[in-house]
Amino acid sequence: MKKLCLGIESTAHTFSVGILDFDGNIYSLINDIFIPEEGGLHPGLVREQHLNNFMKIINSALSEAQISVNNINLIAFSQSPGLGPVLKIGAWISRMLSQMLDIPIVGVNHCIAHIEIGRLKCNIEDPLTLYVSGGNTIVSAFESNRYQIFGETLDLAIGNMIDSFARDAGLQHPGGPKIEKLASKSDNYIPLPYVVKGMDLSFSGLYTAAKYLLQSGEYGKKYNLNDIAYSLQETAFGMLSEVTERALAHIEKREVLLTGGVAANKRLQSMIKYISKEHDARFEVVPLKYAGDNGVMIGWTGILRYQAEGSHTISDTIIKPKERMDQITIPWRS
Amino acid sequence: MSSDVKKEKIIRKGAEASLYSGYWFGKNVIFKCRIPKKYRIEELDKRIRTERTLNEARALIKVKNYGINVPQVFEIDSTTSTIVMKYIQGNKLKDILANLDDDLKKKYFYEIGRTIATLHKNGHIHGDITTSNIIITSEGNIFLIDFGLHEYSDTIEDKSVDLHLLKRVLISSRGSNYEYCFNAFLEGYRSRYREIDINECDEIIKNIKAIESRGRYIKPEDRL
Repeated sequence: MKKLCLGIESTAHTFSVGILDFDGNIYSLINDIFIPEEGGLHPGLVREQHLNNFMKIINSALSEAQISVNNINLIAFSQSPGLGPVLKIGAWISRMLSQMLDIPIVGVNHCIAHIEIGRLKCNIEDPLTLYVSGGNTIVSAFESNRYQIFGETLDLAIGNMIDSFARDAGLQHPGGPKIEKLASKSDNYIPLPYVVKGMDLSFSGLYTAAKYLLQSGEYGKKYNLNDIAYSLQETAFGMLSEVTERALAHIEKREVLLTGGVAANKRLQSMIKYISKEHDARFEVVPLKYAGDNGVMIGWTGILRYQAEGSHTISDTIIKPKERMDQITIPWRS
Repeated sequence: MSSDVKKEKIIRKGAEASLYSGYWFGKNVIFKCRIPKKYRIEELDKRIRTERTLNEARALIKVKNYGINVPQVFEIDSTTSTIVMKYIQGNKLKDILANLDDDLKKKYFYEIGRTIATLHKNGHIHGDITTSNIIITSEGNIFLIDFGLHEYSDTIEDKSVDLHLLKRVLISSRGSNYEYCFNAFLEGYRSRYREIDINECDEIIKNIKAIESRGRYIKPEDRL
C-alpha cells in the first residue's frame, strides 16, 4: 500500500482533515467551519467548536478514505500563521497522534500550503500567486529559494474587509458571496478610495468610505446597497489586479495562480484571467474545494517537506502565529 | 498629432502603460501610453489613467529643475493619456545588476542615493523606486523614470516608505547583494544632507525599521 499522510488544518474558522498518499492522490477531505451567530471570529469560540468536533472530523476522514488510523505514515499540521488558540489545537492533536502511532510529524506554513496545493491540482510549475482570503492578501512568487512576497496588504485582508462591510450592512457571515451577488445587480459606480503603494495595497480607507456610504443620508435615495457592493468590489479588485499585473510585469513568470477563499469570486477571476492573457501567462484558479482552507493542502506540503528534510522533533512543532511565508526556505524546489 | 509626429513600434508592454518608440519633430522619443485596462470598469479606469498621466508629466517637468536626470517631456495628451518624452538609450538597472562588479554597484547605488535624497529634500516622493525604474546609460549616467505614483510630501513617513520599497525590491531580486547595495545607497542618500538637516535624514532611515515592524506577522522581538 502507498504511504499515507494525514493533514490537519487549524488556523482560523476551518478545522479540516485531509488524507492523501505521497503521490498526491487524495482519499478524503472533511471540513468543519465555524460560522458566528453575530460579529466576527472570536478566537475563544472558534477554539471551543474545534475542540468539540475534532474527533468526529478525524474519524469521518478516516472512514471516507476507508482506512484505519494505523495505516497513516505521516502527520502534517498547520503550524503558522493564524489564531494562536486555534493553531494550538491542531498542533497538540498532531503531536498526540504522532506519539501514539509512533510516526513522523511535520509542521507546515499555511500560506505556502495554499500555493503548493495549487501547483499540484492545477499542474502548474512556477506561478505568480495571488493569494486572497479572510486573513491574507499576498502576491508571491518563488525566487532565491523562498516564496518571496512582492506585494501585500498594509492593513486589512481583502476577505476581512468585505466580510466586515457585509456585517455593517446587516448581512450574515460569510459576507463575500452575498456581496458578490448584490454587486452583480448594479452598474452604478460610486467613486471610492483606490490605494496602491508600489506593489502594496491598503483597504482600510476603502472600508471606511464604504461604511460612511451606508450611514449617509443619501443611502436608499441616490444609491442602494447593490451600488455600494458593486463599487466596493470594482475598486478593491481593480487594486488587486493592478498589483498582480505589476508583479507579473516585474518578474515575468509564465503562469498565474489564484487561490484562497476570495478566489471563488467570479468577478475577480475574470479580472485576473484578463491580465494573465495580456501578458501571455497561463491562468489557473485553484478548484474551490482546495482554494479555501483545507487539510489536504497541509498534508501535501507536509509530504514535500518531509521528503526533503525529514521529520520535525516535538520541540520543533511549537506554533508560530506570526510567521511570514518569506521567512521559510523551500528545500523541495531547489 | 501631425505628420511630424510618428509612433513607430512597441518596445515594451508594462503593467500600466505601453511604450512606443517614434519621432517627434525630428527627435527620438518614447510615447508612454496608459492604455485602457479592460478588466476595470471604464469610469474607474479613466479616472486612474488621467490622474496618473497628468501627475507623472507634472512631476517630470518639476524635478528636472533640481538637476535630476529624467526624460524631457515634449507633449502631454490627457484624452489618450499619453506622454511624449525623450528616448533614453540605456539599460534597466534590473537587467544588468547581477553582472555588475562590486565597485560599479557601489558607485551606482551611491549616486542613486544622492538622486533620491535630492528629490526628497525638495518635497518629492517617487513612489515606485524599483530597479526597473532606473536606467543606466552607456556613459554611466543614471536616469529615473516612471513617476506615475509620484507624490508631493515632506513627511518623514512618506520618505521612509519610498526607501523601504527599494529595500524590499533589492532583497527579493537575484544577484543583487542587497546589503552591500542598500548600504551604498544609504551612504549616498545621507551625503546630500548637511549638519542642519542630517537629523531628519537619520530619522527617515531609522523609520524604515519602524515600517518593517508594522508589517504583517512580525515576530514580537523584531517589533520596536
